[in-house]
Amino acid sequence: MPEDTSRWTPGATSIVGVGATDFSRSSGRSPLTLAVQATRAALADAGVDPRDVDGIVRCDMDLVSGPALADSLGARDLTYWGEAGPGGSGPAAMVAQAAAAVSAGLASTVVVFRALNGRSGNRYGLVGERGAVGGDGSYDEFFLPFGMQTAGQFFAVVARRYAHEHGMSVDKLSEGLASIALAGRAHANNNPAAQFHDRTMTREDYFASRMLSDPLRLFDYCLETDGACAVVVTSTERARDLAGGAVPIVSAAQGTGPGVQPGLMFPALLRPSTPSWPSAATAPTLFGRAGVSAADIDVAQVYDCFTITTLIQLEDYGFVPRGQAAHLGEADLTLGGRLPINTSGGHLSEAYIHGMNHVVEGVRQMRGTSTNQVTGAELCLVTSAPPPGASALILGVDR
Amino acid sequence: MIGAEDVAVRPVVPVVDDVDTGGFFEAAARGELAVRHCGGCGTDLHLPRECCPHCGELSRTWRTVEPRATLYSWTVVEHQVHPAHPTPYTVVLVELDDAPTVRLLGHLPGRPPLTVGQPMVVEFEDVEGVRLPQWRPEEESDRA
Ligand SMILES: [Zn+2]
Repeated sequence: MPEDTSRWTPGATSIVGVGATDFSRSSGRSPLTLAVQATRAALADAGVDPRDVDGIVRCDMDLVSGPALADSLGARDLTYWGEAGPGGSGPAAMVAQAAAAVSAGLASTVVVFRALNGRSGNRYGLVGERGAVGGDGSYDEFFLPFGMQTAGQFFAVVARRYAHEHGMSVDKLSEGLASIALAGRAHANNNPAAQFHDRTMTREDYFASRMLSDPLRLFDYCLETDGACAVVVTSTERARDLAGGAVPIVSAAQGTGPGVQPGLMFPALLRPSTPSWPSAATAPTLFGRAGVSAADIDVAQVYDCFTITTLIQLEDYGFVPRGQAAHLGEADLTLGGRLPINTSGGHLSEAYIHGMNHVVEGVRQMRGTSTNQVTGAELCLVTSAPPPGASALILGVDR
Repeated sequence: MIGAEDVAVRPVVPVVDDVDTGGFFEAAARGELAVRHCGGCGTDLHLPRECCPHCGELSRTWRTVEPRATLYSWTVVEHQVHPAHPTPYTVVLVELDDAPTVRLLGHLPGRPPLTVGQPMVVEFEDVEGVRLPQWRPEEESDRA
């Protein structure tokens, strides 16, 4: 591998404020209103006047543009706006882009947000009546006509292949997937903001849940949520003087690896190896920039649109050897375990804000304010999903 | 959820005349299976596009391959999302015997018994004037 010649400075920038709306099935508000509410909360948390926002980074799938949000905030002048994606692979990259803008002097106070009516508005995975499908580089013509139409179906094919390559039955794999679902649920039960705060789950409940796309069950799937999350990025030097304080961005990275394939999600089925993601390429960049390894990570917010997505990333980021993530129990992944993950409940049990709620929870862990606080945690991994590409952050504690 | 009563049930048909991928469906219309093949370095390129990432050549050449494959993975879909694909059905992902770097999908009704690595063969399906190469388990008679 060629030497990484990029010059990342660990902790030069920080997250100084976080905010979120309520998480619901029907917000009754526009995505713009949700974005404004989450952003105002993040700015209040940071101790920053909304008029001083001069940068905004959005997710490429968001319905709200940077300038539209700036206008609604009453910002004096937006000098930088950008976006990252696709979709859920964006959030960590969006924060990285904000950090880059601050470091490059393009802006001083950058809001990163994601707002969606994921339940009451445009739900994912619905193939409408739109005539012939595919073309123009979408490559949907090789997938949708054959009945491959949703993310769940896609991840189910990956899951079965994972079991095959590691010589395990799909039932054995499901035991590992259940551990991830149970960890998220246990954490959500301690998080009053989580959509599944009041709903406990046992391993038996997991296995009794409806099979949607074999081998994936209902509780392998994330929630569908109306809501928004936002964070504020500025220089660490400035953050120290603001009310929110500095949560340093120790590392940030994006990656595709070779042979990533064009198109969006389904083409990942055609890569040389399917039970491994671009996160495997992102990991060495991420850890290299921080000068730490997976063993140094105290707590992780691992993108979990599906349980299998998280399971594979635990291997891609090097927490366990290939084929071993399916052998983890929920005790390994909850408070007191070897690697507590998704301590807000994640997408499976807190809310689906497309990876942005993972960033917010990562900041809470580094501030010591999570409802599932990992005692003494000093480094938190936050990942944003493969398959189209991956991005990740390591957040730290200012000393 | 799209209710079957809400929309006319029309099959999901592919765009067949895309500049990069049309060759696949042209071949299927002739009853053949074709893969994009770089004239410069001999690499099979799926998903099909003009530019070869290996040698840089831009070309639109295709090669016909044997309609045989091995099963790579599958899912049985139990939760219906489109009225044209009633559940349960199975989506298979196969690797072509003649072009092992190329994987294609196929649709099978129901929950057929399957094993990773088993031989699969093409069966063309005509849908609203478009011919789709589908994949089913090889049978005794296919080997005759
Ligand atoms: Zn070539």
